[in-house]
Amino acid sequence: MKFTFLAILACASVIGGCATTNQRVLDADDQTQLQKRTYQSRTFDTSDKERVLRATISTLQDLGFVIDRADLTLGSVSATKMQGYLIKMTVSVRPKGTDRMLVRANAQFNVTPIEDPKQYQDFFSSLEKSLFLSANAGE
Amino acid sequence: MKTSPIFILALLLAGCAEPPKNVFVVTPELLKERQVETRRYDGIKEEDLLVACSNVLQDLGFNLENSETKLGVLTANKQRDATNASEVAMAVFLALLSGKPVPYSKDQTIRVSLVIRPVIDSNNKPMANSELVRVTFQRVVRMTDNSTRIETLNDEKLFQDFYERVSKAVFLEAQKV
Repeated sequence: MKFTFLAILACASVIGGCATTNQRVLDADDQTQLQKRTYQSRTFDTSDKERVLRATISTLQDLGFVIDRADLTLGSVSATKMQGYLIKMTVSVRPKGTDRMLVRANAQFNVTPIEDPKQYQDFFSSLEKSLFLSANAGE
Repeated sequence: MKTSPIFILALLLAGCAEPPKNVFVVTPELLKERQVETRRYDGIKEEDLLVACSNVLQDLGFNLENSETKLGVLTANKQRDATNASEVAMAVFLALLSGKPVPYSKDQTIRVSLVIRPVIDSNNKPMANSELVRVTFQRVVRMTDNSTRIETLNDEKLFQDFYERVSKAVFLEAQKV
């Protein structure tokens, strides 16, 4: 009984130690905003927003995602993958200068943000193939 | 009582679990799924095809959730019963054996997303009046203990049936009946 109590207390303190609500809302952690932006975005040498968005949508579908919503004006696409686990992803496309498009992606796995740059790298290389354009480093 | 620390620990581990490796890599299996989920329609404008598809979804009892005609995207969903006689029988049998209630499927939300894009020709230009339709289905099944099971549907027969209906609707659309 005493052990159980101590174990619960230990687990509770671990959970409590994880983060406060504010930290969750702002997702403030050891990675800086700039670091995240760097691995979550790429630029493409095209000024055609619709083409990039359509390629994004078909890449997401190729990866087994179901599109939740898309908006050409906002330049955003949200999609969900359900394969026993849940991945939610939002990709936004906006012009950068006059002849390039900036693509920014962020994803969450179940209830945790995906923060492994390798996963985003994989996503952008899949997108490159469907756009027939190479991705350049982001911002 | 003894299980609670283990349970909490499991919960913690699950919460921190990493996504599977290569989840953002297009594999040959995924390309095969693309083939199953896609059909090509010629001689119809994207807009008309989108209207025909939205009619089919309505015929199937889906409620339109979201659409962006400029990008050829439609999403819809429906809630349906998910009880299955053999599963219930199995659950009752297991419950009798173990003396504990065994959860079984209760209801489900079926989500569909349909995307139309123009066929790209050899010069990397979109072709006029040649469109590719790709549809994907997911479902969230709620169990009697309120837990959920989520999955993507990939039964080839489902897609065949669906596109048969789209073909009929396209024909009706073309004839403006």
